[in-house]
Amino acid sequence: MIEKMDTLLQRICVDGRLAKLAVSETGFIFDPQTGQSFTLNQTGLLALDLLKRGNSLEMTAQYMSDEYEVTMDVASSSLEAFLYQLGRYL
Amino acid sequence: MNNNHKVSVWEPPFIQPHRVGAINKFGNRGAKENVMREIFGVSIDDLVDQFGSPVFVTSEHQLRMNVRKIRRVFERRYNQVIHGWSYKTNYTGAICRILHQEGSWAEVVSAFEYEKARSLGVPGNRIIFNGPHKSKAILERAIAEGAYLQADHMDELKMIEQIASEQDRIVKIGIRINFDTGFTEPWSRFGFNLESGQANEAVKRISMSPHVRLTGLHSHIGTFIMEPRAYGEQVKTMCRFMRDLDDIDHINIDTLDIGGGFPSKNALQRVYLPPDQAVPDINEYADAVCDALVEETRYLEQSGRALPRLIIESGRAIVDDAQVLITSVVGTKRLPDGRRAAILDAGTNLLFTSYWYNHQVQMTREPGGVYEDTVLYGPLCMNIDVVRQSIQMPPLVYGDRLVVSPVGAYNNTQWLQFIEYRPNVVLVHEDTNVSVIRRAENLAVMNAQDEMPAHLSYRTMADEGSLPSGKTTREHLIRR
Ligand SMILES: Cc1ncc(COP(=O)(O)O)c(C=O)c1O
Repeated sequence: MIEKMDTLLQRICVDGRLAKLAVSETGFIFDPQTGQSFTLNQTGLLALDLLKRGNSLEMTAQYMSDEYEVTMDVASSSLEAFLYQLGRYL
Repeated sequence: MNNNHKVSVWEPPFIQPHRVGAINKFGNRGAKENVMREIFGVSIDDLVDQFGSPVFVTSEHQLRMNVRKIRRVFERRYNQVIHGWSYKTNYTGAICRILHQEGSWAEVVSAFEYEKARSLGVPGNRIIFNGPHKSKAILERAIAEGAYLQADHMDELKMIEQIASEQDRIVKIGIRINFDTGFTEPWSRFGFNLESGQANEAVKRISMSPHVRLTGLHSHIGTFIMEPRAYGEQVKTMCRFMRDLDDIDHINIDTLDIGGGFPSKNALQRVYLPPDQAVPDINEYADAVCDALVEETRYLEQSGRALPRLIIESGRAIVDDAQVLITSVVGTKRLPDGRRAAILDAGTNLLFTSYWYNHQVQMTREPGGVYEDTVLYGPLCMNIDVVRQSIQMPPLVYGDRLVVSPVGAYNNTQWLQFIEYRPNVVLVHEDTNVSVIRRAENLAVMNAQDEMPAHLSYRTMADEGSLPSGKTTREHLIRR
């Protein structure tokens, strides 16, 4: 599972379209390849920003857990779900 | 990292796609500027004069080119490739025949499709039998005829086992498995799930049977997959499962069937770029599949063992652009909101795929006047009978003929016999002669399936009076 998440992360954030997405501060995203647009919620925006900056999943989860005062379990499992969701759209 | 993300309430991170269609006003492809007077080398007016409107026009040449190309690109990268023609995509007899002549096997998913393939002369051992519903009777026939079965669920496995034992044979089968590639919505309702261990249970069950042997793995990750890398993941997962079966259970898999799903050059409604730019080339898919396959089977090659054969079941990528529909305008109006509308003699009854594609629509005469946002309706008395919600068109008039394309995949099979007769389907031969490959329906066809109970059998309403006892129907019924 861990390995798979890392490959997914690699694919989306490093090789993939994520790097080319236009992301506004309010969480509006536009994908120039498909014309599809999305809205991110606050935590989604934070997670995306952290991942785009090259943070590992663990570091991202840790940051979110500190920021929102939730346990690491909660932060990392929801981060995984989020990453899968990104994988579907991007 | 700045701090303005901070909110008091935790909410799991989430991304919400915006509603389809609302954003891409400019994405609505207009009727292409170039006027089409011919299709596949034949005059459109001649086709309509001879075969009526609407009419589906199929190109034998394009079909052959498409299937040859897909085989070529895969065979260039991997040695043993079989194409199984997905009957459900278009099972018009002549179309299947052409593909079988090109060497494609039949991929069928029902008793009807199995019988159809056999009636077209396909031997049992060139039929791949998939799908969640295979009745006992058809399984008995398929097993006796040596078809390659790919099991979908446990009850089917038990039935195969039972039949194999009754026929006293050892049947080699594949199982369909499903799993998450991380790219597409998993089609988890088909086959045995890998992550949850169902696939392993199926393997165990098969291992215990003296009559069934597992030799193949099948998966089909979806349809119109725009991301070639999804196939790389799919093949990797299948190969790793194959290797586990080899290492742990000493099961030798000789067939990997990766299903279909390669896109055609059609315009999905939510996609913004035109298909020429949005749809990756088939070579990219072949790269993704074969790179993963070669990489993941290197251990076999190194120990001098045979590599599995690869089955692809590509449907839409082979037939979609080999067929167009010619349709005629039967009326025009202005809608209350000011938009232009035209009513066509073909709607979603014939173009089932217009529910998810923005088909290309082309004029067959020089357009005059201003292009405007236009709705194209079909002929049905049904609100959702819309061929194009929004397309830039010049003014249309009664009798205008339009060419809708590509329509070869899933329309000649998913069309509805609803309200209207279904029209002729014709084939343009390689020498541009044209023949009908599926005759238009008429009243005789429609009535052929009706049966009339004796007490309702009179020929005209006037004969009604001659019921026994000379009463009218109503009185007759009331008395009883
Ligand atoms: C098992 C299987 N194989 C092949 C196909 C053909 O798919 P496509 O036309 O997308 O290539 C389908 C279609 O749904 C399918 O279910």
